[in-house]
Amino acid sequence: MSLSIPFSENMQNAAPEHVGVMQLSSLMGELLLKNGGEIYRVQDTLNRVIDACGFPNHSVYVISNGIFITINEGMPDACSSVHHVPLGSVNLSRIAEINQISRDICAGRLDRDSAYQKLIACKEPPAEQRLLMTLACAFGSAGFSVLFGGSLLDGAAAFVVGLFLQTLLYFLQKHNVSRFPVNIVAAFAVTLASWFITRLPMKFTFNLVVIGTIIPLVPGYALTTAIRDFFNGDYLSGLIHLLDALILAFCIAVGVGVGIRLLRFLGGGFLR
Amino acid sequence: MNLYPDMTLIEIVILWLMRVGAAMTGTVAFSVLFRAPKRDWLACGAAGSIGWIVYCILTDFGMGVVMPNFFATATLTIFSWWMAFRRRTPVTVYLVPGIFPLVPGAGIYYTAYYFVMSQSARGAAKAVETMEVAGAITVGIIMGQAIVSAWLRSTGKKRGIAPLK
Repeated sequence: MSLSIPFSENMQNAAPEHVGVMQLSSLMGELLLKNGGEIYRVQDTLNRVIDACGFPNHSVYVISNGIFITINEGMPDACSSVHHVPLGSVNLSRIAEINQISRDICAGRLDRDSAYQKLIACKEPPAEQRLLMTLACAFGSAGFSVLFGGSLLDGAAAFVVGLFLQTLLYFLQKHNVSRFPVNIVAAFAVTLASWFITRLPMKFTFNLVVIGTIIPLVPGYALTTAIRDFFNGDYLSGLIHLLDALILAFCIAVGVGVGIRLLRFLGGGFLR
Repeated sequence: MNLYPDMTLIEIVILWLMRVGAAMTGTVAFSVLFRAPKRDWLACGAAGSIGWIVYCILTDFGMGVVMPNFFATATLTIFSWWMAFRRRTPVTVYLVPGIFPLVPGAGIYYTAYYFVMSQSARGAAKAVETMEVAGAITVGIIMGQAIVSAWLRSTGKKRGIAPLK
């Protein structure tokens, strides 16, 4: 029993190797989870990596905002960590990079120290690339406006509103507004901006311009992850993601609804 | 059987070019927004386009909204896994951007729109339809993954790929 062993002896037994593995794996799990990896991926990766480092006796439990790892459970040198991981923004290339690192560790191509260095490098926030992101948001809005049946003209209007949307999102992000108000405000602003653009004397469809530009706000990521968590039997995390998706969708509906109400009140019969 | 009785061949070609082009543009833009690796941008676009093509064909055949969403999502999921195995990239990279054309963003909008315009009955119908579409996407992803894992169980072991849970 570990309780019967004096503290000092216990410390001696705790080989630094085993603490190192713990640090490596919890950092890896944190990065995967923060950048939007699904629960099964995080759990599976950590299990494989700790196995590959030579500690078959371990247990890993992951939920959507926390990681629990225990190595050598029930032995004198048992060691565990509890890690809180706040929800972050999705970054798919980070997931791909970390996936590659874990493959390399498991195949024995990468030793632990250089893996840790690589993970530390992954921890750096990604390059801003504001122009690229703004253009992507604009092209995405335009694409989806056309996709849902708009003309190229509607696409062009959605492009302009998309530029505005991403600029607004950057502005709100700078002022640390939390996620739910951001969605309400952004959906509201997008509705008003689309209305102003469709006042131009050309043949626009107001609805399709708005739909195109709210797509970047729609929680498609949370929905997909929730479903995949359910599929893998991670019901708790799946529920958290699903609830997140539902609340975000509700926020968008509120923002759009208030916007249309206001326009209706001010403009009177602006919608055909 | 002619699906487009009132359209000339050129109009049909333009229609499909618009559909595929829009799906491609939209999905690639989202893969950029989600910071997918640069070499996967086109593959994400392809995933989105394939899903949207299946959806459009089935809706043109008059299958309603729910079934096309199901088949489109299943096809798209299988394609994403296939790409993931070929390129040894996490499947999330293709699946998340690819699914965006099918996610019921328009449903959310019309639900809010009808409720605000005091057309509660139509709003409620839209809300139910949005839920149905979300359900169809759920089942689609699950079926797609099930097919992939069945396929892996038969062939993956030979190639040393671990089966899905």
